[in-house]
Amino acid sequence: MRRSVALSSIAVLVVVAALTLFLATRHPVTGATEAPSPLLGRLAPALAGRELSGGRFDLAAERGHVVVVNFWASWCGPCRVEAPDLSSAAWQMRRRGVVVVGVVFNDTVAAARAFARYYGSLYPSVVDPGGVIANRYGVTSPPTTFVITPSGRVAATLLGPVSTAQLEAVVAKVAS
Amino acid sequence: MTLTWLGRAFVYLGALGALGGVVDLSRALVTRRPAHARWFVVAALVGVVGAVAVMEYALITHDFALAYVAENNATFTPLLYSITGLWSALEGSLLLWVLIQFAVLGGVVYYYRRQRDDDVVRWATLVLFSVGAFFALVLAGPADPFLPNPAVVHQGAGPNALLQDNPLVAVHPPLLYLGFVGFSVPFAFAIAMLATGRVHERWPLEQRRWTVIAWGSLSLGIVLGAWWSYQVLGWGGFWGWDPVENAALLPWLTATAYIHSVIVQDRRGLFRVWNLSLAVATFALTILGTFFTRSGVLVSVHAFSSSTLGPILITFFFAVVLLGGGLLAWRGDRLRAPVGVDHPLSREGLFVANNVLFVGFALVVLLGTVFPLLYQAVNGAAVTVGSPYFVTVAAPLGVVLLALMALAPLVGWRHADARVLWSRIRVSAWVALGSVLALVLFRVRRPTELVAVFLAVNAAGAAVRTLRGSLVSALRRHEARGWWRAPSTAGMVVHLGVVVLALGIVTSSTFVQRDEVTLATGQSTLVDGQLVSFRGFRHVNSALESATSLRVAVDGHALYPAVTTFHGTNGQTVGTPAIDSNLLRDVYVTFDAVGGTGSASGAQVSSGLPAGSVVLGVTVEPLLAWLWVGGLVIALGSALTLARRRVGEAP
Amino acid sequence: MTRLGGAVRSFTLYALALVAVATLAVTLAPRAAGSAARVARLESLVRCPSCADLSVAQSDATSAIAVRHEIAADVARGLSDTEILTSLEAAYGTSILLSPPTSGLGALLWIGPLLVGLAVVAGAIRVARRR
Repeated sequence: MRRSVALSSIAVLVVVAALTLFLATRHPVTGATEAPSPLLGRLAPALAGRELSGGRFDLAAERGHVVVVNFWASWCGPCRVEAPDLSSAAWQMRRRGVVVVGVVFNDTVAAARAFARYYGSLYPSVVDPGGVIANRYGVTSPPTTFVITPSGRVAATLLGPVSTAQLEAVVAKVAS
Repeated sequence: MTLTWLGRAFVYLGALGALGGVVDLSRALVTRRPAHARWFVVAALVGVVGAVAVMEYALITHDFALAYVAENNATFTPLLYSITGLWSALEGSLLLWVLIQFAVLGGVVYYYRRQRDDDVVRWATLVLFSVGAFFALVLAGPADPFLPNPAVVHQGAGPNALLQDNPLVAVHPPLLYLGFVGFSVPFAFAIAMLATGRVHERWPLEQRRWTVIAWGSLSLGIVLGAWWSYQVLGWGGFWGWDPVENAALLPWLTATAYIHSVIVQDRRGLFRVWNLSLAVATFALTILGTFFTRSGVLVSVHAFSSSTLGPILITFFFAVVLLGGGLLAWRGDRLRAPVGVDHPLSREGLFVANNVLFVGFALVVLLGTVFPLLYQAVNGAAVTVGSPYFVTVAAPLGVVLLALMALAPLVGWRHADARVLWSRIRVSAWVALGSVLALVLFRVRRPTELVAVFLAVNAAGAAVRTLRGSLVSALRRHEARGWWRAPSTAGMVVHLGVVVLALGIVTSSTFVQRDEVTLATGQSTLVDGQLVSFRGFRHVNSALESATSLRVAVDGHALYPAVTTFHGTNGQTVGTPAIDSNLLRDVYVTFDAVGGTGSASGAQVSSGLPAGSVVLGVTVEPLLAWLWVGGLVIALGSALTLARRRVGEAP
Repeated sequence: MTRLGGAVRSFTLYALALVAVATLAVTLAPRAAGSAARVARLESLVRCPSCADLSVAQSDATSAIAVRHEIAADVARGLSDTEILTSLEAAYGTSILLSPPTSGLGALLWIGPLLVGLAVVAGAIRVARRR
């Protein structure tokens, strides 16, 4: 008797078992993960513009400080999750000279302003008409957070919603 | 709290009914005594219908005591979107899945009530009860839709903006689920045939009818989903090769192969074991697709948010494959047909080619879908596998499939004579060549379009010739009224639908014209021969949404592309495109930006433009509406299969 | 015999007509050229940063428009296709391209369909031999 069906069934079963094992060990993305951004270690791209509250922000003027740059949008769910944490991190770290700045990603000024007011943001946010800043930083989806050293280099990239504790740990590592 | 307990009680009743059915049928198979399947079906159905009723009641009355309702409904959500809220998030959509699963189970038990003590039917019912019990248990445990809401909610979040923007949300997911769940029937019977060793009987052909119905629902569901995303998402396209879209495509591909190769079993007795493996593969891919959609491991616009279901679903997937593959390995060789295909140029030879192509394409789509995960695991870097890859692979495949559609219906069984074949093709071949020549003379000269038209005309010719053949023979028998019951009619109508669909896809994507135009109030411009004028703003404010729409005219037809902000905490701002559609071309207009320094419109503000002027995205796509027409024809053809006369059955 | 001869003759005539129309179509086929076509091709290869699976050519999201501007500017500056794609990869990572790199593991993605194609041919030969 020919055995081709038995042999090919077993071969398929082995392949599917490998696929199953592989898929079962993948984890859904939750919380922020440090991502290997191509920008790591390089000089942070220029970031300057009008703030939601009307003032002007320029990254170049913040040399000597650790700067946390957070790209967000009012339509992004995880941004809502992290907004209170970001504010408390900004408040706690401001005495250590850490600057937190938001960049509005792909959003309308009106919606962004409402969002900042609703969550009582304790940090300035820069509007980014035309997405020029986001393009320089290679941001694909908010929230994305960059930590920049006092010498102006990108030290860490965080994808997803950050928590106060996580942000403080990363900043402490960068500052030391 | 009452709703929570009531809902859970119904879910438990459903799960117990299904589990009871599993126990009862196992007992019946072992002791060879009669089973009581129908009572357990009744219990399962009462349970799930009750649970759905509780959920719908809570959604329609905006009862935020349930966390699911608070997250997916708001006091101002209209009735239609309250009802469809059942499938706007993970837990509710699983409830719908279980409802359909038990309904299909009930249908099978009812349909085969006279053969209920046949072992094949018992085994199949046992498998269906097990599948139902699995999903009902998921609902009773890890994906509980009736979790109480701890906080006091006054307004509710409302569904995702894109899920309350278009009524198609009411039909697209249920049709998809009907297709997915329907594939559990041929799977159950495949397992039954393997377990009893009775593959040579009429069961496979019975199963074809069930499969075609499931396949037709899935096809219509996919096409309506494409239509929905085309109307809602604002990029003028209908298919993005997104992981979740691929998840629906995978079982569709293997089911298409199955529907074709069962015909060969019908006529020639070949491919018995292969058909069983296709039935198993189709159902397994359905479960794998469910895993892709609900585990959160793949990034997708359609995916439900991440949940704990991943490991459970992937284990079930493996259990399905292990059961089917194990039985095939054990008995497959003994159940094979004793003969093979005689000649490659024969109907069955071309069916082999069809099967290899569909299954091969399914493998390629699976590879492309899983590949980003694989790359991430090996190289630690993210990659995208997007439309350039899938289109490169799908285009040659589509060409070969259209060619097969042009040939196969005209080729005889066992062995074909090339001269006879040519005499059958000749007319449509000349018409096809003439059409291509005419197109070239009328300056339509893109090679993709010309090849598509050439093959499509030939394929349509083959289908029309076959339809005419059955009409002529029905007339000869004075049976003209029943001609559409001929065995080939349903299939050929589906082929015609596919031809129309293919022409729509190729033409609209080959000749798509996309432009961004800036217009002040009262201005007009020409885009790809279409006159587009901007007449002014219109503000709409309702309890549900506030929208700024533009009064735009395309060729004299009024269109209102808008930017809409939905109220509620999930309240998002979405662009709503407006479409002027006829059979020749679609003009697709989006409201991209408004000039000035800021406004309350919700639209992107472009500070470089004078206030009062707007940026419109205008996309012109010829023959796009043919996609939807083709999809409808495919669904009609699938429905015709219900009236199909079996080969050899008296007319 | 005459009928069979007629079939051969009519098929030969058709084959000639087919070749003629195909030649005509190929000679008249539009040649995409110039920087606009280059920009369009590049745009179809680059993923819109803020969308899941659209190219920047398809999307009107702000991020897509920003990338389109960059591509157009780079083409105008005379950069090569590879340079432009590499500079985008340097900011966004490999996932900005809609197709993965063809070297290394990425080759698997293209070998897969080739294997399927080979299987088709091998199966056809096997069936043809068996008779």
